[in-house]
Amino acid sequence: MTIVFRARSDLLALVRADLHRPHPFAAERVGFLICRAGRLADGGLVILAASYDPVADENYLDDPSVGAMMGPAAIRGAIQRAYNGGAEDLSIFHVHMHAHHGRTGFSEIDDRESRKFVPDFFNVAPAMPHGAVVLSLDQAVGLCWPSPGAAPVPIDRFASVGAPLKTWERG
Amino acid sequence: MDPRLVSQSFLGAESDGILAGVEVGIVGLCGGGSHLVHQLPHLGVSKFVLADPDIIETRNQNRLLGGTPADVEAGRAKTAIAERVIRSINPDAEITVCQSRWQEAIETLRRCDVIFGCVDSYRERDDLERFCRRFLIPYFDLGMDVHEAPDGYTISGQVVLSSPGGPCLWCLGILNQKRLEQEAGRYGKAGSRPQVVWPNGVLAPLAVGLFVQLVCPWHGMPQLSACCEFDGNRHRVETSRLDNAGELRCSHFPSDELGDLFFARS
Repeated sequence: MTIVFRARSDLLALVRADLHRPHPFAAERVGFLICRAGRLADGGLVILAASYDPVADENYLDDPSVGAMMGPAAIRGAIQRAYNGGAEDLSIFHVHMHAHHGRTGFSEIDDRESRKFVPDFFNVAPAMPHGAVVLSLDQAVGLCWPSPGAAPVPIDRFASVGAPLKTWERG
Repeated sequence: MDPRLVSQSFLGAESDGILAGVEVGIVGLCGGGSHLVHQLPHLGVSKFVLADPDIIETRNQNRLLGGTPADVEAGRAKTAIAERVIRSINPDAEITVCQSRWQEAIETLRRCDVIFGCVDSYRERDDLERFCRRFLIPYFDLGMDVHEAPDGYTISGQVVLSSPGGPCLWCLGILNQKRLEQEAGRYGKAGSRPQVVWPNGVLAPLAVGLFVQLVCPWHGMPQLSACCEFDGNRHRVETSRLDNAGELRCSHFPSDELGDLFFARS
């Protein structure tokens, strides 16, 4: 089962620019990619990033033990976004950035925290996949929860769609 | 660097890996597609999805590169001929064959990083571009035509690189309602359309060049969108249609209209 994640390069540039901004107290910023999806012949998924919702300054908690801790309003906002007003459900991927070039990865904290809140998106959008993505300055890595109750699986392949077109596989 | 590709090392130190890693879909494997399956494996492209429902016929032999009388005799699928050509150049290529209409292979084609469309009708072009836009796949459209003119015939064609966010075939005027209606009016009575080998021998390399500059740009200004029009009577390629479009942003494909329309219900 292959998981492919695609986003336009101009959207990724906008996300990186937002995540790069300093926050009054948090060491890093986070946000949410709003995505759609399609099925692949091998039972896998293609996730397509459509837009980006940043987390507002006031929706961070001051927790020096982690780079960024979202408050309940940020999570609630993302859950509402997934619900999409009762129209077609949306897929939500949490995103943050490690400011270096090349391959990156989930830290233990990234992994632990994602596993806490990503499954909540299934409460309102159970038919859509959800997940978390960590960007570097030119690549990305990700985890996808394909269905409610399923264990997360790594995203196998990314594409940044623009000129140039960049693709990379998970390491 | 792959020793077979050292002469193209100016495409970048990692270009061999990039080209080997990009999965390329080719829809339509007769005139235009048969040129592509010769050039792309020479470049080092190694992953292909090939879609065409047809077998080679005698009348295809004037333009299907690699097709032989024995293939006609055997009633060989165009996908099988394309696969044979690719493997003769790159025996290790990963090839997914879809001997079907592309619409029946969409769950395979969605995997592709780029798609080349060498389809015959405006309707199919429209459908294929829509599919590519929904799945954020850059689409290379190749088309040629021979028309009767008062003093003989005109040969024309075009290659369009249609990328998400950039001008589409509708923005560029390649597709319009009048053309679709005229084509629908001709449905069932067109017979065999005139086709020859050499216009595709111009258009397919242009498309390959646009593909290479997209994935391994060898200069500082890779193009997200392109429209090269071939005038086969004057033997010229022009780009004025896109030049006239300027900084056009596509209004036909909103950026959030992505993915399966009915994913949540499937």
